[in-house]
Amino acid sequence: MTLKCETRKKKDGGDVGRRVALLLVALFLLSPLQLFAQHLLVPMDDEQQNHLKAYGLTYNALKAGLKAEWLLNYRGGSFLLPDSPELRRRATLDGVTAARLDDGSLSRLRGEIAAANMEAVPLEKAPRIAIYTPPKSPPWDDAVTLALQYAGIDYTTIYDDEVLSGELSKYDWLHLHHEDFTGQLSKFYLAYRGAPWFIDQVQRNTEVAKRNGHPTIPSLKKGVAEGIRRFVERGGFLFAMCGATETLELAIAGHDVDIASTFSDGTPVDPAADTKLDWARSFAFRSAHVEKSPYANSMSNIDGHQVNVPSRRQPLGTFTLFAFSAKFDPVNTMLVQDHRSVLPDFYGVTTSFTKATLKPGVSVLAFEEGAPWVKYIHGDYGKGSWTFLGGHDPEDPQHAVGNAPTDLSLHPNSPGYRLILNNVLFPAAKKKPLKT
Amino acid sequence: MPRTTAAGRSLLAAGRAFRTAPLLIALALAALPAAAGAQLGAAAARGLELEQAGKPREAAAAYREAMRGADLVPGVLGLERVYTELGWADSLRFVVDSVVRASPRNPTLRAVQLRALLAAGRDADARAAFEAWVRAAPGDAQPYREFARQLLAGGSALAADSVIRRAAAALGAPRVRDFALEIAQTRSSLGLWGPAAESWREALGDTPYLVQAAVFALQPTPDGARAAVRRALSASPPSLAARRALAALELAWGSPREGWTALRSLPPTDSAAQAWREFGELAEGTGAWLVVRDAFLAAHRARPDPELLARAATASLSGGDAAGALALTESTGEDAAATAALLPVRVRALAALGRPGEAEELARRAEDSLDEARRAQLRRDVAWGWVRAGDVARARAAIAAAGGVPDPDAEGWLALYQGDLAAARKKLARSTDATPALVTARALLARTRASRAPTAGEAFLLLARGDTVAAAAKFAAAGDEVTDAAPLLLAVAARLHAARRDDAGAIPLWESLVTRYAAAPEAPEADLEWGRALLRGGAVGDAARRFEHLILTYPESALVPQARRELDRTKRMGATS
Repeated sequence: MTLKCETRKKKDGGDVGRRVALLLVALFLLSPLQLFAQHLLVPMDDEQQNHLKAYGLTYNALKAGLKAEWLLNYRGGSFLLPDSPELRRRATLDGVTAARLDDGSLSRLRGEIAAANMEAVPLEKAPRIAIYTPPKSPPWDDAVTLALQYAGIDYTTIYDDEVLSGELSKYDWLHLHHEDFTGQLSKFYLAYRGAPWFIDQVQRNTEVAKRNGHPTIPSLKKGVAEGIRRFVERGGFLFAMCGATETLELAIAGHDVDIASTFSDGTPVDPAADTKLDWARSFAFRSAHVEKSPYANSMSNIDGHQVNVPSRRQPLGTFTLFAFSAKFDPVNTMLVQDHRSVLPDFYGVTTSFTKATLKPGVSVLAFEEGAPWVKYIHGDYGKGSWTFLGGHDPEDPQHAVGNAPTDLSLHPNSPGYRLILNNVLFPAAKKKPLKT
Repeated sequence: MPRTTAAGRSLLAAGRAFRTAPLLIALALAALPAAAGAQLGAAAARGLELEQAGKPREAAAAYREAMRGADLVPGVLGLERVYTELGWADSLRFVVDSVVRASPRNPTLRAVQLRALLAAGRDADARAAFEAWVRAAPGDAQPYREFARQLLAGGSALAADSVIRRAAAALGAPRVRDFALEIAQTRSSLGLWGPAAESWREALGDTPYLVQAAVFALQPTPDGARAAVRRALSASPPSLAARRALAALELAWGSPREGWTALRSLPPTDSAAQAWREFGELAEGTGAWLVVRDAFLAAHRARPDPELLARAATASLSGGDAAGALALTESTGEDAAATAALLPVRVRALAALGRPGEAEELARRAEDSLDEARRAQLRRDVAWGWVRAGDVARARAAIAAAGGVPDPDAEGWLALYQGDLAAARKKLARSTDATPALVTARALLARTRASRAPTAGEAFLLLARGDTVAAAAKFAAAGDEVTDAAPLLLAVAARLHAARRDDAGAIPLWESLVTRYAAAPEAPEADLEWGRALLRGGAVGDAARRFEHLILTYPESALVPQARRELDRTKRMGATS
């Protein structure tokens, strides 16, 4: 019995080695992905279940010190993250579609990218984000705040006091939304002069102006606009939407000109304001005509749609994202990554930008076919860069004051909101912060 | 209080000025076109016939001929219609311009001119035409009113607002009432909800048939501005149309009780009784049964009607107030017709109150005067009364006595109450009812192979008797009796606790489901509800962990999107994961 057993043991010993080797080969052949996956591919085409939270997943991976890559034009602008149980868990919790990728598959993927209009851009550092917003929430939503909250991306809110005291230098990325930097509070007195929130806004802004040594709200806002201009000049990234785009430009160009109506600063608009504006200081526009009538709810002819001036109001159409060369123009390519190339337009206090007022050299990222305006623009300024997107809320084309905020959990695949989040991640692609 | 700067004061003063300006508006209706009512000439009549015959080109020729004769206005109006149909609307303005030059004060021609220009997108020309009309008819309200209306119709509320302001400045305060409707519409479009409601109240004074228009315009009022709308529409002296508008708004805003409050203090006139009745019928759609009862009862008291009283009593019963329903059925006195109309609801009320004996006696006395179908229905009502009293045997007897068409639903329920799952399975299999109790019963019957389950039967009986506390305990205990359906029974018990807001009673059951029966279909629901209960109790971090557990453990569950939403909510409340 014992001998038998020993004999069997010897036999078994020879077999075991062979069997283990066979087993390993079988395992290697049958399940390479499980054993050797080292990467997590977050597709951003129609396969993705939650595009918006995919940005949050990537941002938070960077924040945790991990490296990522943005695969421009590959499956809607996918992300490549290192594979880890925690990231997979996070993706499952957020409903983000992510697939594990082994080195062989990654190698094939890189080959595909090298051969096409695609590029892999390393993402290195989660930008520090500031959102310029009043301390008390006004009765309208802010698409960027909504997007960041939904995606789970951290940010700090700042307002006039912080800008004027130089705190912008703490941040890489600044977002502006609905603010009227001409100090005329979007001329809302026409329709909302009796609304408690409007009266509160007037009082609050007046107090901030006084505290900072400015005689009027327009003077205060010009000071703030100048602070923002310097932030970009020194290397900051600026993203603005809606009325903040147009009014920031007017405030910067009109630094030494009265462009605010009597109701806001006690003096009328300088009749020669148009000729006195210094467009050399501004980011995107030139030769615009300031709207001098306090009764026309418009700031200038920069906005193509003029939503609040009935006789000038233009209907909404669709806008098309420009296709850039990923290898030669990665920055613009990053800003237009999307799983849709034609998007429905949406109104805002400033909805679009007339072509006639654009400075030469401004990159047009999205345009409406045949229309005299564009939707989405980008450019460099000093050591920094700026991006302007017209409109208020990509998922609420007619958004009006007092409407309920958009619930992004109902729009997890919003192509319009993706444009906003492209801007959040775009500074992460810079190898070194340009800000001084 | 902090001082404001000169600019701030200037801005606020501007705001105040604009707030008061609309109150100064006063305009009057212009005279109706002289042509109205006059007999049509031959050409205009021929144009109308050709138009109705689908020959717009020929009709256009006839209308042009009519314009050259005595039928200028009918001709222009006819041309406006047929040119639009032919796609020649842009040509209309040239025709209209020439006739307006000849009759610059004619309001119909001027209105057509404005319509043609605005439709062609020629806003600046339209404004110029309006200015010309104002100059041609100084002191006349019609130009302002017509232009404001057309701008409003085109969605240009701000422009309409500026026209109304100009009217106020040009015509003076006493004629403000004539513009109430336009002001109301403008203010609604601008989101000035409180002032809009004031204008609607004023407009409804002259045109009470515009209640639905007012409701439509004011329904989008956000929560924060609704108090101002309520104040305006319920201001003294009470206006029936304004109160009806407010009541309908409250219904639309999900506050039916406040809707009834807006109406109930009206003096009991015929109009008020009709408004109460209509409100009751509207409220029926919202399921606010006790509000329905109050409205129908008030209408009945103002104008007695047995049918309304029966509807009030039925609503009371549906709202869970069986005693109130019974009291209403006892208020008919000697009125035989009313007593007969109220008999079914009286029987049901007695049965619901646990007085099936009285219900049975009442039904028996009335049997001779009823047809077979109504008799059987009354017997079934009595049977449910016995069920509520816990006497299944008497309930069976009542069903048997009902005769007529067999009632498998009732027989199935009675079998279930006695724990006879095999019989209940047969009888309830084809039921088309969709009550939660039946859904639960059929889920149990489909889940288990057992043919008898007395404890589960008792649990369902307790549920039918309205004793949810004891029913929850029995359902939980029945899990040991029907082991193959234990997760379902535990989940039912937990739902009963949760429905009573008894999270402390429900949480151990959900915990048991998640830990002991992790593979059961009820486990994801238990995880979700457990998390929600923790959230209600302020345990945000623990709640977040439950939602995460659900998402990670049951990624294919249909409840995962809900769990993700809840997880987002916990993050906004400060939870980290």
